[in-house]
Amino acid sequence: MDFVILSLILLAIGIYGLLTKRDLLKVFVSVELIATAATLNFVMLVPSLGKGLGEAFLVLAFSTDTCVSGVILALLVIVHKRYGTSDIGDLVKMEQEKEEVVEEIVRESEVEH
Amino acid sequence: MILEILSAGLIISACLAIFLDEAVYSVAALAGMFFSTSLLYAFSDAIFVAVFQFAVGAGTLAILFLSGEMLSQKPAKTSQRNLLLITVAGIILSLPAIFLSISEMPVALSGISFGEALWDMRAVDVVLQGFVIMTVALGVVIVLHEKRKGEK
Repeated sequence: MDFVILSLILLAIGIYGLLTKRDLLKVFVSVELIATAATLNFVMLVPSLGKGLGEAFLVLAFSTDTCVSGVILALLVIVHKRYGTSDIGDLVKMEQEKEEVVEEIVRESEVEH
Repeated sequence: MILEILSAGLIISACLAIFLDEAVYSVAALAGMFFSTSLLYAFSDAIFVAVFQFAVGAGTLAILFLSGEMLSQKPAKTSQRNLLLITVAGIILSLPAIFLSISEMPVALSGISFGEALWDMRAVDVVLQGFVIMTVALGVVIVLHEKRKGEK
């Protein structure tokens, strides 16, 4: 069994999910898959660097992964509280509508002046 | 043989986590993936890493289950046919990892223990990462607290 191919397949699935899924929770799951694919590569380091050093690198990679998870989850909660949705398409539409409204208000104020 | 079965389970649960529509089922599949990865590490003689993966996975999943249940809308359920298709796709995707081999396992250069490697060779990294984790935790708390203040 080859850990490099396994991590490549996981990476491909994660990138596919990142590109195609619109829900923020699915985006988070995709990021987790990509992080798992990256950490699996450290298993390959174990024979070449020695078991201890390979495991130490893996543990350090986990802590980075945990930080990323924390930030994404905070973003997910904030976005859902502010906009009431976690769909990226809806968020983009809302932002565009907001910009259009602002532009309209600016245009109206210019006409009045 | 056990590693091959675990890697197949890993790919299938990864596919299910991405393609299942309902958030809770998706998180449950992610739990399966974390569990498979943890076992994969354990059977590769990396017990410390397996324990770390298990702990990190358990924490992440607990929060994800809560947020998945609270924040996401309920979509239409995935049909049995789609579920079967995703599983078959996962099995097919796991075949290259089981049967192909592009990397050769190099010979071990050093036989230092995990504790020595972590505290003697990577001590600065460990301390710095502790600071990074603390900073991220504080940042998340501050951002969520400001949001709550703004709501009032």
